Parts: sequence; C-alpha cells; structure tokens
Amino acid sequence: MSVVTEAPPVDRTGSSRRTRRIRRIARRVVPFGAGSLPVLVTLAFTGFPVVLAVLYTLGKTGGFNETISRVGQHQVQARHGLSLGAYRNFFASHALRADLFITLWVTLASTAALVALAWMLALFVRFSGGWIGRLISTLYVVPMFIPSVIASYALVTFWEQNGKLAAIFYQLGIPNGWMPGFTSTGVVLGLVWTNIPFAVILLSSSLQGVPEVLIEAARDVGSSWWRIIWSVLLPLNRLPTIIVIVFTATGTLGNFTIPDIMGPNAPQMLGVAMTKYYQSYGQPQQAEVMAVLVFLAALVLSAFYVASSRADRKRNAARGSARAAVK
Amino acid sequence: MTTLTKPVGIVGASRRSARFAAGGVRGLLVVGLGLFILAPLLMLVLWAFAADWFYPSAFPSAWTISWWSTVLGGNHLSSTVLWSFIFAPTVTIVSAIICMPAAYAFARKDFPGKRLMMMAIFATNAFPKMGLYIAMASLFYSLNLMGTFVGVVIIQLLNTLVTMTWIPAAAFASVPVSLEEAARDVGAGPIRTFFRVTFPVARPGIIVALILAFLASLDEAQGTFLVGVPKYVTMPVQMYSLVSGYPGPATAVFAILLTVPSLVLLVLVRKHVFSSSLAQGYRLR
Repeated sequence: MSVVTEAPPVDRTGSSRRTRRIRRIARRVVPFGAGSLPVLVTLAFTGFPVVLAVLYTLGKTGGFNETISRVGQHQVQARHGLSLGAYRNFFASHALRADLFITLWVTLASTAALVALAWMLALFVRFSGGWIGRLISTLYVVPMFIPSVIASYALVTFWEQNGKLAAIFYQLGIPNGWMPGFTSTGVVLGLVWTNIPFAVILLSSSLQGVPEVLIEAARDVGSSWWRIIWSVLLPLNRLPTIIVIVFTATGTLGNFTIPDIMGPNAPQMLGVAMTKYYQSYGQPQQAEVMAVLVFLAALVLSAFYVASSRADRKRNAARGSARAAVK
Repeated sequence: MTTLTKPVGIVGASRRSARFAAGGVRGLLVVGLGLFILAPLLMLVLWAFAADWFYPSAFPSAWTISWWSTVLGGNHLSSTVLWSFIFAPTVTIVSAIICMPAAYAFARKDFPGKRLMMMAIFATNAFPKMGLYIAMASLFYSLNLMGTFVGVVIIQLLNTLVTMTWIPAAAFASVPVSLEEAARDVGAGPIRTFFRVTFPVARPGIIVALILAFLASLDEAQGTFLVGVPKYVTMPVQMYSLVSGYPGPATAVFAILLTVPSLVLLVLVRKHVFSSSLAQGYRLR
C-alpha cells in the first residue's frame, strides 16, 4: 500500500482541523447535491404536478388546480375533505370500464408477445454467429430509429383493411378477410414492433455474459437446447427479463401515439381516452382520474421491479462472500 | 463417452436432420423478422412515388414525383426540421449537465437516500404523460412557460432523465476504483484523473445515454404540441397533423424525409448501441 511511502499528515495550524472537517462534510454534501439535481427537476415537473393531479381527482379544485378547473366540465368538487366521486363516475361508465379493460389486455398481450419474441431473437444473436446473427442484429435495432409517429403510420397503412398487405395477399390468392389495421390486435403488434430494440439489446447483452463453460457443461451431460434455455439461461437472466417486462409494460399503459394512430375508435386505451377527455370533451378531471389509475398500475409493476432487483443484489452479495470464503 | 455405445450412423443422421431443421427455423425467423420490420417501411417508400394506387393492386399503377415537389416546396418542412434539430441537441446537453454529475455521484459516492433518489427519477416514466401535461398546464401558465422555448425544453427533458442518469451511473460504476487510485498514486489530481482515466473508460455508456436522449427528444410529439404550438412545431408534431389531414403519398414523402436524419444517426452510432452499457444501466445497484 502507498501508506508506507506517504509522509504522516502534518498538523500545521489550528485551522487545519476545521478545514479538514469542512472537507469531510463537503465530501458527503457535494455528491448529495449533485445527485439531487435531476431529483429536484423530477420533483418540480413530475412530483408536484402528480400531487396536484391526485388532489384534483379527489375533488380539490382550488389553489393551483383553479386554472384547470375553470375550463373543466362535469367536475366533482369536495366542499370538505376529499371525495371519490370522480372515480365512482369512472367506474359507473360502461365505455370507460371497457377502455380500462382493453388497456390492461393490450399491455399484457404486447408485453408477453414481446418477451417471447425478444428472447428468441436474443438467443439467435448469442448463439448463431455468421451472417444470420449479423443480419438479425442489424434488423432488430431499426425500429429504435424510426420516430413512433412515422412507425405507427407506416404500420397501419400497411396492414389496414384494403391496405398494402391485403393487396399482396389478394394477388397471391391468400384469403385476406381480417386485417389488424385499426384493431387492438394491431396495437399489440405495433407495440411489439417499437419495443423490439430495447428488449433485445437488454436480453442479448446479458446472454453474452453467460459463461460458455456453463452451457458446455450442460451440453456434456446431454441436456437438450430447451433444457439449457429453461434451467440455465432463464434463471441467469431473470432480472433483465423482469426489467424488459416492467419498462415496456409501464410505457404501454399510458401510451398515446401508437394506440391513437393504430387503434380502433372504441374501446380506446386510456392514454388515448384521457387525451380525448381533456382536449375534445373538456373534462380534465375525468382525464386525470384515468391518469391516476394508470399510475397505480405502473406503481405495482415498479414495486415488483424494485423487489426483484433487491433480491438479485442480495443473491450476488451472497455469491460474492461465498466465493471469498472458498478462497 | 456414452455416444460411442450408440450406432454412429443414426446419431449422424439425426444430428444432420436436426441441423437442417434448425437451419429452416433460422431462415424462417430471419425472413419473418425482415418482413415484419422492413415491409411496412418499404411500402411507405413506394407510396411516396405513387400517382395511383388502389386496392387490390400490389403496386402503384402510375408513378410520379409530384408529391416530393409539393412537400419540398411547401413551408412545413424546413422550419420543422430546423426546430427539431435545435431542440434535440439543446435537450441532450441540458440533460447531460443536470444528470452527469448525479450519475457520477450515484456510482462513486455514498450518501443517504441514494437509492430512493434513483427511484424518484424513475417516477417520470411511471405517470402517464398526458395526465402529467394536464396537471402541469396550471404550473406552466403561472410560470409563463406556455408557448416558450424553455417550456418545450423542460417537457422534452423529462423523457431523458432516467436514461441520462442510470446508464452513465452504471458506466462510471464499471470503472475499476483501482485504476483511479493508480492514477492518483502517480500524482494526478482528481480532475485530471476523471478526464484521463474515468471518463475514457466510461465513454461507451455515456455515448449511449446521449444517443437515447437525442432520440427521445426527436420522438416527442404530444407534450411539444401542447406547450410549443403554434411557434415551436417540431417534425413529429407536424407529422401528427399530416397523418390526419393530408393525402397518403404526401404524408409518406414527409415521413421518409423525417426518417432520414434518424437513419443517418443509426448508421453513425450503430456499434455504440450494441454495447452492454444500455443493459447495465437498468440494473439497480
């Protein structure tokens, strides 16, 4: 260690102890200050508005909410305390219940389809070298660079009823009765399309980290590929899979652009419905009720993510100390 | 070896047929993926040169380049491209200034509430954007930010905070402390150590974060529309109004023109996107 060569610290004057103490405090305060900069931006422009929004949905129409509540129609105002009236109105509406249901369904279906497809692509990128691997890894990043407005427009005009895909099917004599354009299934496909890059990058880079030795060992004892995927690769890539699920599902729940351009007029996903309720129907409070409901669903997912990354950290720590003990 | 007890010929045949089947599956997957991802985009290109294209013909019956002169001659294009390419670098730089020191602090220093702070930044992703914009409207009106440049930057900034903090934090954390200590031992100061040792090693992660922030800004339509219109109309905002109000081929031309900058970016930064930095950023430490 360098301690041996270093001269012992010289206590020059009485003030040096004070500067040392200041330096010690600064060493903790400066990082805290730096770390709190993005947090402050988040609190000011997300945390604060979210608190306002929640209060507004609970019938608090005064204070900062006054501007918005002046233009709002069909509002529930709480004279004293809080009121759940706006939420009661939401669940009393048959159309909005359908919107909530389709939001959850599309999120579930697109996340499941994405994870399955991304796993498959990640496995190919990891294990099939040569031009096929290279081709796949060039293809799957393309959607990342296409703005989502353009992507949704291109996709929906491609596979709408009487669209380009239907025309190709017709020419080839393939029956083309049903097309995914302007349906919720189309929205699911569109979400898979746009989320492929993020999912595959995450999964394939963690698959690269799986030691070749482990796979060789499994193959030596005669495991099939399915067995290797199921009992070696999947457990080792649990956390990246969960990250993909949580981040795409959270983004999907409140998504606006893709369901708005690609989806049906009814039932709509809540991201679209809340925009319509605010911009077209002049009901910001009802729109905020939807936002809060989506937020609650996203919070449940986030809690799942935090819990599993904590478990992962503990497991890694345990593994690290076990390794140290062996040495 | 157990395989030696089996007749060699059968093993060879079954293995060959298995390899053949795997090759078939692989080929199908590549073709399927290629069609799924590229076909809609290629059709958009055809669409941009179509004079007439009615169902059920698979290709346009007549071709024209008149849509290009219509779009290029109109006044939509140049100003929207300009605004997009003013906002995207501005947002990226502001985001880097706000987030990079934080990322370094999260990676290297220990202070109370660190993990809570990282999760608080994630909250920007969890609340649906539209709900946020409605609630923010009051705030923006009272701060006089509606319809201003700063207002649009703030709106777009919110989409970049998570990637700009998490990914560089992971990149800084992956720089071995011993490397920094070695530099300090031979007499480099903290600033010199950072720029000569820490930063070069962490650079791939930082580049990925910058690219993602840039793309997030280029992609943002809804908030920019609500805050920026009528003065600040960026490319996706313009595209949004075209989708609903213009003839198909003109929209296709516009879409292609708007995709060009992103594709140039794709070619330039392709190899950085594949680095493991992106994946590392999303693992909470």
